Amino acid sequence: MATDEALVGQLVQGNEDALRELLRRYERALSSFIYRHTAGRDVEDLYQETWLRVVREAPRFDPTRRFSTWLFQIAVNLCRDWHRRARPNDPTDVDDLEGPRALERREAGLDAGRLLARLPELQREVVILRYYEDLSEEQAAQVLQCPKGTVKSRMHHAMARLAELVKER
Amino acid sequence: MSHTDNTPNVATPGGARVLREHAQECAECGTQVPIDRLAGLLDSTAVSIDAAALSQRVLQRVRPELERRAGAAWWRRVAAALLVALVPLPLVVAYDAYLLQMVYGLVSALLPSTVAAYLVLSYAAFLVLLFATTYAAIPLVLSRPPRLAGGGATT
Repeated sequence: MATDEALVGQLVQGNEDALRELLRRYERALSSFIYRHTAGRDVEDLYQETWLRVVREAPRFDPTRRFSTWLFQIAVNLCRDWHRRARPNDPTDVDDLEGPRALERREAGLDAGRLLARLPELQREVVILRYYEDLSEEQAAQVLQCPKGTVKSRMHHAMARLAELVKER
Repeated sequence: MSHTDNTPNVATPGGARVLREHAQECAECGTQVPIDRLAGLLDSTAVSIDAAALSQRVLQRVRPELERRAGAAWWRRVAAALLVALVPLPLVVAYDAYLLQMVYGLVSALLPSTVAAYLVLSYAAFLVLLFATTYAAIPLVLSRPPRLAGGGATT
């Protein structure tokens, strides 16, 4: 079976099957990551943009690197840009949402969504990558392009904050 | 793992383990964070996304770009293959011409020169046809789509 990195090489040559295989391998993990990062908003746009960048930047991909790390780096950067662009009156916290959309979400049982939405962005990323994507500290550090110690520290602060939120409930 | 369904995407089995590992290393979190309760809440999320449908739309969107790349890659391969095949061609032609001259000399000693010329020219025409077919086959061989092959484990 071809490695992810070999598939990227074939993607550079315009091989659609290679992209289809990469999508199959990462669609669940990537879409969930984006969903949790943005509390379920603009998932499709961000998902598409991530893969468009993969296709566009594939010729410059260094095959000695892990594809999964590169893919999530792209997604992290896009999600961060998305948060920066988010309108001030466009709440990220699902508790602040009003109307049928909010009701729909609450009914869908977004307890974890509410918790995550209350974390600062940098801490949320670490929790998603470590808790949901099961990445090691080292892998998370590579994705987030920061030292391993920073991942550990963000995880610590995130857990402290989450513990406070859990106790408040 | 199925990638075509639309089932809620809950945390990986490693999720709670990650929290416990951290709590073991960190005395503060170990005493203050209710790990099981927190893990239960984090696992309660329902990510209802039809990831396969998203992927289909990605494929549709990037298809023109992939087709353009595939076309460019095909032409690059054809050009490279023709170049490699053309490099030894002058030598092959010169050697064949030398052989044909020798054969003509031999045959014309045994048969009338007209018949000898006819035989040698027929053979030369056959060789030209063979060359043409060989070179024409290069694009046909290259047009086969590459297989998804490669060694090693997936990441």
